[in-house]
Amino acid sequence: MKNVLEVEDLSVAFATDAGVVDVVGSVGFSVAAGETVGIVGESGCGKSVTALAIMGLLPRPAGVVTGGSIRFDGVELRTLEPDARARYRGRTMSMVFQEPMTALNPVQRIDRQLFEAIRLVAPKASGVDLTRRAIALLSEVGIPAPESRLANYPHELSGGMRQRVLIAMALACRPRLLIADEPTTALDVTIQAQILELIARLQREHGTAVILITHDLGVIAEIADDVVVMYAGRVVEHAKVGPLFANPRHPYTRGLLHSIPRLDREPRTRLPAIAGVVPALSEMPVGCRFRNRCEHAEARCEVEPALEATGKGSLVACVRWRELD
Amino acid sequence: MAALLEVRGLVKHFPVRGGVLLRKQGIVHAVDSVSFSVERGETLGLVGESGCGKSTVGKTLLRLIEPTAGTVLFEGRDVTKMDRAELRALRRDMQIVFQDPFESLNARHTIGAILEEPLVIHGVGDRASRRRRVAELLDVVGLPPSAAMRFPHEFSGGQRQRVGIARAIALEPKLIVCDEAVSALDVSIQSQILNLLLDLQRDMNLALVFIAHDLAVVRHVSNRVAVMYLGQIVESASAREIYAGPRHPYTQALLSAIPEPSPVDRDARLRSRVVLEGEVPSPIDPPSGCRFHGRCRYARADCATREPVLQRGPADGHEVACHYWAALS
Repeated sequence: MKNVLEVEDLSVAFATDAGVVDVVGSVGFSVAAGETVGIVGESGCGKSVTALAIMGLLPRPAGVVTGGSIRFDGVELRTLEPDARARYRGRTMSMVFQEPMTALNPVQRIDRQLFEAIRLVAPKASGVDLTRRAIALLSEVGIPAPESRLANYPHELSGGMRQRVLIAMALACRPRLLIADEPTTALDVTIQAQILELIARLQREHGTAVILITHDLGVIAEIADDVVVMYAGRVVEHAKVGPLFANPRHPYTRGLLHSIPRLDREPRTRLPAIAGVVPALSEMPVGCRFRNRCEHAEARCEVEPALEATGKGSLVACVRWRELD
Repeated sequence: MAALLEVRGLVKHFPVRGGVLLRKQGIVHAVDSVSFSVERGETLGLVGESGCGKSTVGKTLLRLIEPTAGTVLFEGRDVTKMDRAELRALRRDMQIVFQDPFESLNARHTIGAILEEPLVIHGVGDRASRRRRVAELLDVVGLPPSAAMRFPHEFSGGQRQRVGIARAIALEPKLIVCDEAVSALDVSIQSQILNLLLDLQRDMNLALVFIAHDLAVVRHVSNRVAVMYLGQIVESASAREIYAGPRHPYTQALLSAIPEPSPVDRDARLRSRVVLEGEVPSPIDPPSGCRFHGRCRYARADCATREPVLQRGPADGHEVACHYWAALS
């Protein structure tokens, strides 16, 4: 399958009071039509920054892409003029955020916000046409009685409904690439199941390439084909979903998988937790960024590890992966 | 032996006011006749989705919210009838830990002062012994002694929760209500805090009422689990049993919605998943009969009129509030 998006060696830096900090480095992956790539990691691992960099939505002027390449259908987006870049957003690539309440305009009716998204791809649509399309979109994302929702404001909808509206807006342009950043994190588990099913159905029907960003390994196991595990701004492991869960190679991935309470584990036993916390960006260890929390760390880990192929297309950034196997 | 905590027929209704004159326009049935008990040293998990009333139950136990009706017996004494002095004394034995304990704490006090405060209020020890106790508490929850001199904003989420727990155990309570205490934490930090809670529970013979929306987490820490839906308990059983053999259709749907961290057989699993249609109805005007009937795929005509009560299900200690649980299994 042809790749829709190719990200290579991407790095992002943020200007802070304490100077310029390297937030994301050497991130690479690709997404083909109809494929779902999951990016998983904990707070501050750089997963959302990666998504914003791809969309060209890094907060300005603080956030800057400092290296690497982002190609959409083979076109390098990094070097495009801002106008040309903006034409990709809401036309060929869309994004859905975690908190629909902040992503939606609270003082604007649902229909006006949908019209805005529709006009991006159909600038000449008439009022009747806009309404018709808005209703079709709401109904496509499973909102019952969509006509009656058009005049609602976001606060009149439940969290699950708001997320559906946001997905409807993202779909208005029939995007080739959908980036969903923690789309179900704020939702209850039964509503999460509905939204994940919706994303999967829309993807099947339209062959959309999807990047799903989450901290939830359960969600990853459920819908990702390919998984990128990030820690402190670096990709530590990259593999197909099967091998990743069956045979995780990186000590961080293993630690993460072991530390989740699972339904098939003996209750009330100690969880094998990862010690310590993610270091602040200003205190990041030299070399492997996980080494101060890693039980296998040794002197060699003071050099930044490169991603190495472990077979079957899997990559791991740990100098000791062979011995730990 | 009597249970440490015994809750009978707990009800909490909130008036909904609106309009210019803030007239009463309806009643939110946040909690409706909830009963359960907690033994010394055990964990009761209260689980359910947003708006099911689980947090209201937790706050009502300590009278942070006044119950509308029902009794809360702590060591045989009715908490709902206690006066201020009695309630203050109760706090020595019964504490609560919130999702972010620092929202309710003074940001300008050092951690040392924050931990010392309950000891001062309850007149425990002299200054020197209180200082020693603070150092001891920091050690127990895995924070360095230097933390005592620092301020809340200097701490990460996981460390803050350690402080929240240290404060809660300062007076060696018999029961702690954990209200979404680990929900905001990253997985690797969450597991550290869960381990800490289990260790403390063992060492102090602590009882926990563990309130959370994450079913896997609740199962992990609980001896028994009560599942709530729209202000009522629909099923309660041992943690093992409720996950292995859920009988209430809502519990079944809730469990099948959890994404399992394993991609093995995922297609088959997703096909067999019971995806609940629609959303939880408004607690202002809850459905008649069984509150779940509108979303239940097994609902029969009388489910809309006859309200089920929590009754003995497939085993002792496994209770189900469904007229037809036996016919479904």
